[in-house]
Amino acid sequence: MSTDPERSGPSGLMALPWLAHLIGRRTIFLAGLAAFAVWPLVFNPYLAYAANLALIYILLAVGLNFIIGFAGQLVFANGALMGIGAYCTGLLMYDGGWPFWLALPAGAILATVIGLLVALPALRLQGLYLALGTVAFTQFALWVFIHWEAVTYGNAGFVLPPVSFEAIGLGKDMGLYYLTLLLVVVFVAMAYRISRSRVGRAFIAVRESEVAAEALAIDLTVYKTVAYGVSALYAGLAGGLFTALLGVVVPESFNLFQIVLQFSMVIIGGLGSIAGAIIGAIALISLQELLRGFQEVQEIAFGALLLLTLLFFPGGIAAALKRWVPGWSETHHQDGGRRP
Amino acid sequence: MLLAYALSSGLTTGALYALVAVGLVLCYRTTGHMNFSHGELFMIGGFLAYTFHVMLGAPYIPSLLLAVLGAFVLGLITDRTVYRPLIHAQPLAMVMATVGFSFLLKGIGRHFWGGQGEVVTFPSPVSPAPVWVLGTPVFPQQLLVIAGVAVCMVLLIAFFQFTRAGKSMQATAENPHAAYLVGMRVERIYALTWGTSAALAGVAAVLMAPLTLLTPDVGFILLLKAFAATILGGLGSMGGAILGGLLLGVLEALAGTYIHSSVQEVSAFVIIMVVLVVRPSGLFGARGLRRV
Repeated sequence: MSTDPERSGPSGLMALPWLAHLIGRRTIFLAGLAAFAVWPLVFNPYLAYAANLALIYILLAVGLNFIIGFAGQLVFANGALMGIGAYCTGLLMYDGGWPFWLALPAGAILATVIGLLVALPALRLQGLYLALGTVAFTQFALWVFIHWEAVTYGNAGFVLPPVSFEAIGLGKDMGLYYLTLLLVVVFVAMAYRISRSRVGRAFIAVRESEVAAEALAIDLTVYKTVAYGVSALYAGLAGGLFTALLGVVVPESFNLFQIVLQFSMVIIGGLGSIAGAIIGAIALISLQELLRGFQEVQEIAFGALLLLTLLFFPGGIAAALKRWVPGWSETHHQDGGRRP
Repeated sequence: MLLAYALSSGLTTGALYALVAVGLVLCYRTTGHMNFSHGELFMIGGFLAYTFHVMLGAPYIPSLLLAVLGAFVLGLITDRTVYRPLIHAQPLAMVMATVGFSFLLKGIGRHFWGGQGEVVTFPSPVSPAPVWVLGTPVFPQQLLVIAGVAVCMVLLIAFFQFTRAGKSMQATAENPHAAYLVGMRVERIYALTWGTSAALAGVAAVLMAPLTLLTPDVGFILLLKAFAATILGGLGSMGGAILGGLLLGVLEALAGTYIHSSVQEVSAFVIIMVVLVVRPSGLFGARGLRRV
């Protein structure tokens, strides 16, 4: 982790000490949570849908951050794992007639299992080899989604029966929204717990130097496998929620653009920063919804944004938070992404 | 008959994969980074040729040269905007920067040359009627592709063997610091490498355009084939990339003919995964993996 020259003197809002007490990370998180909680009550169904999508992407970005931000592994398998969660949840409901509350965890568990299976061969690979191997895995999964028509219904996909929340007296949209919000709160809290635990510190050690980590008796195999599993769990769960939100499962949802979208969230947010991943997810989903229907503009915008972030703001949003928000610490953030 | 047909079409696409893969490896050897926007350089090269040849009605050879020149310039732009600023960054930053650049190019390609799903056809400069070679029908365009790829390879070998720039490029690939110390202008060599690598993708695109359909999404598919070819041949080996490309083309054609046509698309991904797991150094491995 790099040293942080901005921390040394008062700058920005830091010059006003009373503000530092008022604006802390906890306050901002609570304000964000409150905004999300009242959002669907205030705004129209389309904006509620967009916010729900953003919440799902928060899960995806926070999950991806475990593997690339914390553990430093260049893994491109998340699109496929999300797809596996989505297909498993969707097919159990569509063909198996399972209720959503059972199909969702089943999808998340299957994605976790597949993620762990991916880890077995992937553990032998590093850097570029790992990137190429996992890109191939994602394309292979996409091919299976398209061509295993007997199970996945091929290119056309299938339309889900609507998810019902009548048991708790909510409509489909509201029920799904608050379920997603609840899961986001639980899983983001869990991400913070993991990041502060022995496991999280081990991830960072693996990222910074595998040799040094091994010298500190950190079992690379165990901790890398855990990172793959945790990341896959988040992706699979988000995939199931994504299916329920869209009501339809089609293979093209899980193509390369999906991976680039998620990677952009983590990189623009700042590698290794949970808060950055959350803000990155909200920002990029807002941008995507603004540009809805203009595929080429989306591609140009996301490509340029990713490139410009890496070129000019390699620390991402997390670096800006550290600098401008008093009392904000990002202990796991990998500032700069540059070699010392 | 079926076998001969599969082999001839497999060798043709294989030759193209080899050409794209050689460009990718050229860049990888000299700069140490994989260019994830290499496929989009191919796509833009193809569309440039289409613009000059079909839309503006220029003859085939000048269109080819202009398209290759355009790809070369695009390679120089990649060097300036992506590679040079991030030269000391982590591999992750460089991979993601080239991925970002590839999406930028893809969006630009989609904006100028057709929306989603639209494809454009490119007329062949030679007769479409098949000729008979050793009792097998072969399309003249296929012969043109194989001849074109062979010419490129010979030119490339001559470039490395006989020119100062080619030798400097090899020296830089071997040890950039030493090359710098003996007075080579390493930065220029990097720029030349990116340009040459992109130009090779441009040649491949012009040769391939009449055989297939150009779409803004063709680049990523081709990039994965080139990855498969390089991994198969051993990452970092030029000869391996050529053999890997040809082998991939033939394997794909055979799988498509004898198993199922849909298997053709997936064989590249399966090859990447299997080779990386079983023998990461490839068939003609150049470098092993660093072990911790």
